[in-house]
Amino acid sequence: MAWVTGCYLAYLVLPIVLLVLGSVGEIWLNTLLPHGLTARWYSDVWSDGSFRRAFVVSLEVAAATCVVTALLGLPLAYAIYRAASRGVRMAARLLALLPIAVPPLVLGFGFVLVFSTDVLPYLGSLWVLIAGHVVLTLPYIVQTLVADMRHLRLGVLLQAAESLGASGPRRFLDIVVPSLRHSLGSGLVTVAALSIGEFQLSNLVAGFLTRPYPVVLLQAFYGATGFACAATTILLLLALLGSVTGSLTARGTVSA
Amino acid sequence: MTASTLALENVAFAYPGSGFRIEGLDLFVAPGELVAVIGSSGSGKSTVLKLAAGFLAPARGRVVIDGVDVTHAPPRMRDLGVVFQAYALFPHMTALQNVAYPLKVRGVDHQTRRERAMRMLELVGLATLAGRRPDQLSGGQQQRVALARALVFRPRALLLDEPLSALDAALRGEMRDEIRRLQQEHAIATLHVTHDQEEALSMADRVVVMREGRIEQAGTPRQLYEAPRTRWVASFVGRANLWDGVVRETAVETPIGLVKTAALRIPAATRVTVLVRPENVRLGAAADGANTFRGRLVRDRFLGATRRYDLEVGGGTIVGETSEAGAIDVVHIPPDRVQVIQ
Repeated sequence: MAWVTGCYLAYLVLPIVLLVLGSVGEIWLNTLLPHGLTARWYSDVWSDGSFRRAFVVSLEVAAATCVVTALLGLPLAYAIYRAASRGVRMAARLLALLPIAVPPLVLGFGFVLVFSTDVLPYLGSLWVLIAGHVVLTLPYIVQTLVADMRHLRLGVLLQAAESLGASGPRRFLDIVVPSLRHSLGSGLVTVAALSIGEFQLSNLVAGFLTRPYPVVLLQAFYGATGFACAATTILLLLALLGSVTGSLTARGTVSA
Repeated sequence: MTASTLALENVAFAYPGSGFRIEGLDLFVAPGELVAVIGSSGSGKSTVLKLAAGFLAPARGRVVIDGVDVTHAPPRMRDLGVVFQAYALFPHMTALQNVAYPLKVRGVDHQTRRERAMRMLELVGLATLAGRRPDQLSGGQQQRVALARALVFRPRALLLDEPLSALDAALRGEMRDEIRRLQQEHAIATLHVTHDQEEALSMADRVVVMREGRIEQAGTPRQLYEAPRTRWVASFVGRANLWDGVVRETAVETPIGLVKTAALRIPAATRVTVLVRPENVRLGAAADGANTFRGRLVRDRFLGATRRYDLEVGGGTIVGETSEAGAIDVVHIPPDRVQVIQ
């Protein structure tokens, strides 16, 4: 078993190691490893206006997606958890899971159709991009929250709080939000990571000035290997940063 | 000290889509009294608690606390301390914060509510663990925190929903005394719902036996044990030998034979049930030979202070209890220990 695990880890880590090596290597042509050490590729990516803009767009979209999914996800998860009949719960679960089952490409086409009409000419705006990311990531956070509500038996906790004299808003702020802080945090980490890495839908609905990082990254592969490696490594860092932001957002919501 | 009362008056309730219903239920808890509601699962005992707490609304009838009709008041306006089966402590708060919470929502200032919560924790013997979170406390300690939290805001009545069912047997005995002590110290009207008849008999001032949404019998523990009104109550409360039979003058003809009674004022030929508690079955034959049964010992259980045995006699089995060791082949039942249920 140990060597299977070893192989798997190597398979997982090796591309990342090569990426990082490639990003600091001067020349990499038909050899196993690159030659020379340079920071040139990073400075090239940094000085490229479209990459810098995409970097900022990705962070903005991820942050906004986290906020919106948290605001929508909590009440939605609570409604699913409290739904009296099994049928309603099942239907809500299916509806919430639909965006996972449907390929983002399909969703993207839908967005293109709807938002390129004269009634809703918003294709290419940041808000349509955020809306798309919310639709794609909401199921993950809702699932996590519902599971945690069941695990904590939130219903009984709320009954207890009610019997102790707490009003509805008080129960939400004193009991629901803080007792779900861990699942909200891990849910938001997932949301942030998914949002930052999302390509299929973003590629279709993003405008020229609102292209997130993965969409712009595609162009890097037509240039030098070192440049592509550096640009991809930055995406990796961006995803990490997004996860940290996600968990910090969760903590912020709780302490507020 | 509060001197509040809790009453359900002519309450009706039905779960939609199920056959279960409560009809015309009356229940009264006097100031400082502990009333236990017992029954098997599905008897409606938990429903009674939810109706009192306000988690369910009755279709008809009134819920009255301290003479005030609270039938339509939400749970948070009823001022009742509820202890839940799984304690329902808030996992993200310390023991102290849990106990202080009802004071916090009542707008008590920080310093005062800390002091009151701390005093309450001292009362349940947990002052040194005030800073721990529920998952760092044992089941018994969590139970004590839940009790402290339910009492700290001086509620008008206390509702206990199977409060001991999650504890192991040794701890359960200890917590029975603890709950009873706190309840009496606070002189608070208490409604205690449990499926454990032993728990109810040992703690309650009065016991209400429920079955299929109706009150089968209510009375002191002694009344229920010594004078059950129906066969079902006799079998539910305590252990019992029950034989159906027909009255023949001062005796009852049963499958195990003629059972003599001390005084029977029931007309002959009436169908009745004979009840004999195991501790009233005596070893050996009676001097006058009355109610003496011979048989074969089929089961013998050592219970520490007592020994419970099954003696197979012609037509049935007699369950008896004794503290004596040795072989058993003949027993008798003093006629004045025989009860007859119509």
